[in-house]
Amino acid sequence: MQIVIASGKGGVGKSTVTASLLYLLKDEYRLIAVDADAEAPNLGLLLGVTEWEEEREHIGAKIARINTETCVRCGICQMRCPYECIYVDDEGNYVVNELTCEGCNVCGLVCPVPGTITLEQVRSGVIRRAITKYGFPIISAQLDVGRPESGKLVTEEKEWAKQIMKEQNLEHMIVDSAAGIGCQVIASVGGADVAILIAEPTPASLSDVQRVYKVVQHFHEPAYLIINKADINPGFTKLREWAEEEGIPVLGEIPYDSAIPKSMSMLKPFIEVFPESKASQAIREIAETIKEEIIK
Amino acid sequence: MQIAISGGKGGTGKSTVAINVAVELAKKFKLILADLDVEAPNDHLLLGVELQNEEEVNQFMPKFDYSKCIKCRKCAEVCEEHAIITLKDGTPFLMPTLCSGCRACEIVCPVPGAIQEGSRLIGHTYVTPTPYGFTLVTGKLREGEERSMPLVVAAKKRLKNLDYEILIVDTAAGTGNTVSKAIEGSQLLIAVTEPTPLGIHDTELILQLGKLMGIETWVVINRANLGDVNEVYRRAERYNAKVIAEIPYSENIVKTYVSGTPIVTTDYPEAEIFRRIAERIYEFLRG
Repeated sequence: MQIVIASGKGGVGKSTVTASLLYLLKDEYRLIAVDADAEAPNLGLLLGVTEWEEEREHIGAKIARINTETCVRCGICQMRCPYECIYVDDEGNYVVNELTCEGCNVCGLVCPVPGTITLEQVRSGVIRRAITKYGFPIISAQLDVGRPESGKLVTEEKEWAKQIMKEQNLEHMIVDSAAGIGCQVIASVGGADVAILIAEPTPASLSDVQRVYKVVQHFHEPAYLIINKADINPGFTKLREWAEEEGIPVLGEIPYDSAIPKSMSMLKPFIEVFPESKASQAIREIAETIKEEIIK
Repeated sequence: MQIAISGGKGGTGKSTVAINVAVELAKKFKLILADLDVEAPNDHLLLGVELQNEEEVNQFMPKFDYSKCIKCRKCAEVCEEHAIITLKDGTPFLMPTLCSGCRACEIVCPVPGAIQEGSRLIGHTYVTPTPYGFTLVTGKLREGEERSMPLVVAAKKRLKNLDYEILIVDTAAGTGNTVSKAIEGSQLLIAVTEPTPLGIHDTELILQLGKLMGIETWVVINRANLGDVNEVYRRAERYNAKVIAEIPYSENIVKTYVSGTPIVTTDYPEAEIFRRIAERIYEFLRG
């Protein structure tokens, strides 16, 4: 089974909740974790991974380059670039901004001087594999800064995870997605059997989780909700009301607990280092519900 | 003058810093705040305003006229996104969600009129007046759309027609090319971080981006009492970035955050920290 954890908004606790859930499920199930936030990967850190056993470079991003020697400075490339990535430098040369180029090659197609603009393959990042100290494997990715298409890295991560699942006869893939609703999140949600949404009771988090829920619906996946930092905004009932209206079962509520930031500083799941904290008691109940309702 | 507020990791407080600084600086400058976190735009919620003046962002999509198409497959070959597939006989079909709207297919098609102008709605931009004397420009990607870049570009284009002295840009989380597109053009980058190992790890990435882009970078440490700030200072120094403020975790900040009231408009003691950040920026702007 493939379970994706998503939130829309960043910083609501996806990785911390995921790390503790993995910790609670690891003894009963054969798991693999996928950190699908390729731009800001944190799950490996939280699970104490310091060294990666295998690292694969991902060469896939494409970047246009302009040969200033043969360039006739007609400016057509700049006019036609859909993302306004071509600028003129101090010496009057047309230059592609490599940190914003999407690699669509339109500039190369419209350039009147053959061979002046070429599309070059560059490294987009790395994908890594490790065994956590808890015994289950993790796949993580890191996009190089300023590169496009982090979604492709996530798709590749999941392919690698599937391969490992086959080789090692694993049962479940837990995918910790990125914030937002774009390519990384679509690559994370696509192909999952179930989505667990995490939100906090604030208008911003509600707005973002509603948006990611639409993406989940697009893939016809059943969704569940965990309410994190449940007590930071007393009187805010809209999150629960929304879940009820949409028929999204609430798996549980986790109170704001200083044990969580403390555990983050120790780079450990909070359930491991503060097993008696309020948050840990809540997540234990949530894990039980997940076993009964989702994994079965 | 353009200032970007970013941070690598999600949820570190980028938007909180952006809206409060905007409210303060709008007292002195004609200002626009641009919410370029197009996958999860929240600045309007934090400011307690409803998005206004909606404009559609439509993206080019090829529409094949099969009576003219000669099935040469050139459109499919040139599509970097593999959004066009061809049947055995060469008939092209489009997979709309993969299409980036770049027009490469249209450029290479040898038959005039075989590829016609189609379009798809991929999101919206908004221009919203706020009660704080500045205008909020927002880009919002439609759910199910994969590419945030076109929305960032569309929101920045809409900005160009507006009059302002200072532009504050609030970016998405991460360090990919849509974040650099949002930051592009800034004279100052403010990275909002938190002092946990995760926050520090991601801050390092945004500091790298600032360095690559050659932009002066400052660091604001949010929830400063929840971790080891010294480590943030060390990392910042490595990238020649100044730490300009520490904001403690505070229930007052949470309270104002959820109620859609910028904290600088209140008497809470924490308001002063944000006012001082705005003051630092004001000094930077005056040179």
